[in-house]
Amino acid sequence: MIPFTRRLKLTVGVLCGLAVCAGAAQAPQRINIKQLSTTVEDVVVPLPNEIFGALNKLGAVNWKQHVRSDKGPNFTERPRIALLLGTVIADGFIAVQAEDAATVKEIGQRVLTLAKGIGVGNSITPHAKAIIEAADKRNWENVRRELDRTQNSVQQAMNEVHDEKLSQLVSLGGWLRGTEVLTSVVTKHFSSDGAELLHQPDLLSYFQTRLQAMPEFNLPIIRQIQDALVEVKPLIDVGDRRIPAESVKKVNEITIRLGHDIVTRD
Amino acid sequence: MKRFSKVMFRTSSLLLALVALQPAIFASVDDAQAFALQAAEPYVKQGFQVREDYWGGDLGSGEKKAVRQQLFKGNEYWFWLGTEVDKAKVSVHVYDSDGKLAEEPDGWEKGHFAAAHVIPKATGSYFIIVSVEESPEERTHWALVYGFR
Repeated sequence: MIPFTRRLKLTVGVLCGLAVCAGAAQAPQRINIKQLSTTVEDVVVPLPNEIFGALNKLGAVNWKQHVRSDKGPNFTERPRIALLLGTVIADGFIAVQAEDAATVKEIGQRVLTLAKGIGVGNSITPHAKAIIEAADKRNWENVRRELDRTQNSVQQAMNEVHDEKLSQLVSLGGWLRGTEVLTSVVTKHFSSDGAELLHQPDLLSYFQTRLQAMPEFNLPIIRQIQDALVEVKPLIDVGDRRIPAESVKKVNEITIRLGHDIVTRD
Repeated sequence: MKRFSKVMFRTSSLLLALVALQPAIFASVDDAQAFALQAAEPYVKQGFQVREDYWGGDLGSGEKKAVRQQLFKGNEYWFWLGTEVDKAKVSVHVYDSDGKLAEEPDGWEKGHFAAAHVIPKATGSYFIIVSVEESPEERTHWALVYGFR
């Protein structure tokens, strides 16, 4: 917590930064990316609403068509719960896009139940309450923020108890659901710009590497996802070429199949 | 009694030294994050959604770190770097996957903060390069947050 006077000083500092130092020191126009290889952090996994925001700018999307609120089964395997939690948080972002307060509230409850299932319920309770309250007030900005906080708190709580792998499965679940919706929208109204949003080869490689490092999670769903990512990779890793409509459709079929498998008991 | 006074004096001196050194001892990446979020604050009013997650660590003077990030064409991004170290000079710049500078010219650096603005021309991987240019400390905490709209 920063004291008020310090906050004031900081704010003044930032404003001075903006006003006085409009230009930063000259950065090199080009760098050798390969030389950075030893200092590169893991790729940052985007939130589903980053993709949805970019999609919205391409044209009106009927988000109501993509809202999903079915509760699904209660799993006991922690990796399955983590994957499902990621998809449910992504469903929350979709419900926000659709401005569907009732579904957002159901998702708030569902997130809490799932978080309890993997032992991180305590850190999620305040966020779940905040999601429900903000949905009641139809304050979508706050719902979005709380969904982001929920995912962050879940992952922090998992990392604190060295459950980083479960934390990665939460991200993966969200990414898969986001990709499913992205490809559904672009398949219905194809555009090259929409298809380009699928150009995420490094992110896909990141998930492949992470899944390979989870041999202890010997579950059919994990193997299905691994196989599916192998199928998806050549469809989206196209370099400077455009991603064609057939590839988008194919990725959509694969992610719909996986989405079904994630929410369904084996 | 004299012995008691001596003990009291030593204990008080130790406590005073601890209080004086407190910022150095307890400074952390979380403090750097508070500065990064402070830098982001004015942009929230402009509609930027700031991610809760952040990336951080510590670097020596002249050292760099790269964070690889997926950016989407159509979105607009700001990256804010913060440090809690007074008189440190930090910078943040964004390059595309070919190593070409990809940021807008309105990035800035000032005191505890630096910021870079990106409107991606293509969807794909980008490299966010954070650097501690100068610092009075041997290791300088840094934290990077970003927002998009």
